[in-house]
Amino acid sequence: MRITIKLFGPQARAAGEQAASIDLPDSDATCAALRRALADKYPPLREGLAACRFAVNHEFVDDRTTVTASDEIALIGQVSGG
Amino acid sequence: MVKLIQGPLPDTPIAWSVHPGGGGGGGALVTFEGIARPVEGGQRIEALDYEAYEPMASNLLRRIGEELIASHGLIGLCVEHSVGRIAAGQCSFRLRIASYHRKEALAAMDEFIDRMKRDVPLWKTPVYAPMASR
Repeated sequence: MRITIKLFGPQARAAGEQAASIDLPDSDATCAALRRALADKYPPLREGLAACRFAVNHEFVDDRTTVTASDEIALIGQVSGG
Repeated sequence: MVKLIQGPLPDTPIAWSVHPGGGGGGGALVTFEGIARPVEGGQRIEALDYEAYEPMASNLLRRIGEELIASHGLIGLCVEHSVGRIAAGQCSFRLRIASYHRKEALAAMDEFIDRMKRDVPLWKTPVYAPMASR
């Protein structure tokens, strides 16, 4: 399935895009798999990727979380509000 | 209350119905304002560009506020945050906390800002002054 991941801040600048597109097998649609696929497809994202968190439908999740093509997924790196 | 505002925050805070003396018996109102510094790491900054992932940013700001009101026994909490560009010297963040006594407001203020800076999906990107003027 094709998964779209919103990118922001440093991650958007590193990837040169505001969204990343990843193809995941239905049998392994976890955030852990997304993380590996992002590192493979977007080498500029590798540095710091381990410290990034995924948000699914506006909630932080861990890498065991399974996603679907209809979920809204975002990669949240180091934030800098305030 | 949570409000994201395009551009710099106005000098007058947004209207907020919770305030000490308004029937709640509070004795403290603590306000913090975050101002864009003109110099960072030795470089002159002209502006900051703020980006937010909505509605997650507002949801989380609201959730942090509600948790701190409960855990610190506050009367209320109001947060305003800029999105878009603000110039150096302008205000990008304002937090007001109403409480019965100052100690809980000051403690909650610190904790709110720590949690915001750790978790809330807001980002700022500096716009540096041209090289000759740095």
